Amino acid sequence: MSLYGLQKLIRDINRVPAIREEYFAGSDNIFTHYDLTDPEISAIRDKDWGRLYRMGVHGLLLRPFSILHQVPEPAYLTAIREPA
Amino acid sequence: MSICFAAALGHAPGITAWSDAAPPEQRAHLQAGFDTLRRDLEAAAPDELIVFTSEHWANFFLDHISPFCIGRADSYTGPIEPWLRVPKTKLQGDPALALEILTHCYANDLEPAYAQEMEFDHGTMVPLHFLTPAMDLPIVPIMINTLAAPQPSARRCHELGRLVGEVAASSSKRIGLIATGGMSHDPGEVKHGWIDSEFDRRFLDQMEAGDTSALTAYTTQDLFAAGAGALELLAWIALSGAMGAKPAKTLAYAAVKPWATGIGIMEYL
Repeated sequence: MSLYGLQKLIRDINRVPAIREEYFAGSDNIFTHYDLTDPEISAIRDKDWGRLYRMGVHGLLLRPFSILHQVPEPAYLTAIREPA
Repeated sequence: MSICFAAALGHAPGITAWSDAAPPEQRAHLQAGFDTLRRDLEAAAPDELIVFTSEHWANFFLDHISPFCIGRADSYTGPIEPWLRVPKTKLQGDPALALEILTHCYANDLEPAYAQEMEFDHGTMVPLHFLTPAMDLPIVPIMINTLAAPQPSARRCHELGRLVGEVAASSSKRIGLIATGGMSHDPGEVKHGWIDSEFDRRFLDQMEAGDTSALTAYTTQDLFAAGAGALELLAWIALSGAMGAKPAKTLAYAAVKPWATGIGIMEYL
């Protein structure tokens, strides 16, 4: 698992407008700039907050990332509280 | 002694961003505490502020994490969050005082990192919004890594604070010291929304008693048990180091569910 790369991607999307724009444009090209495993890319593509959380993404990276996707707090919390 | 003001207070983004969500009686209680701090700060008339604070992946990432980082910039901007309902502002820094702190720390076997570029998030801007709304006091920020494990120990934070306090006390300038963050909360994590008021009250009691032994005995696990955000209380422990065993006074406390945080406000009188 390349948790570092996964968290770096999410942090960059959260903080860097150009990267955020590229991500929301829907191109998979963005994933080539980061050291990511296939399951990590799938979890991002699926917007699977629970899997991303259980992969180890820090809550203060993941919750702002979910907010960018307009995910309400109760839905986010339900997802991260699901058992593995 | 040139420490003319010292206080600790919460920095939850909800305090400004979704203030209306909190029960009116809790808002009024906390607002009274913020108002008291602002009035006392204005009466103390500091020349500048040293702020023990923490951030939320704003400046620092896992490519380079240090336990402590002292801002040496000429100026800072914040907040980074456009939704915080705090106007974006440019704040003056004091690189000379920052260097003085660094030099004193290094001479005493504690080596913080430093940065000549830093942006402030809610962790710094929410408290400043209430304490000095004109944002016209020069700031020396001291960031404490409360996010990425391993975090510095309470004992080490206390020692940092002690050294900073020595610099402030011997300064020809009038210095205000502020610690931000806490209390119990677990932002973005599975216990988000849960508040441990018992823990918070105990911590406030220890600050009120100036109980250095109890404050420096906190382990990372002890703080983490009150939620990941409770590690921000390391900033309060640093402040207690700057103030010696002097007792602090609790001005307000509320467990604010809609802000998902126990909010404490203390002042050294």
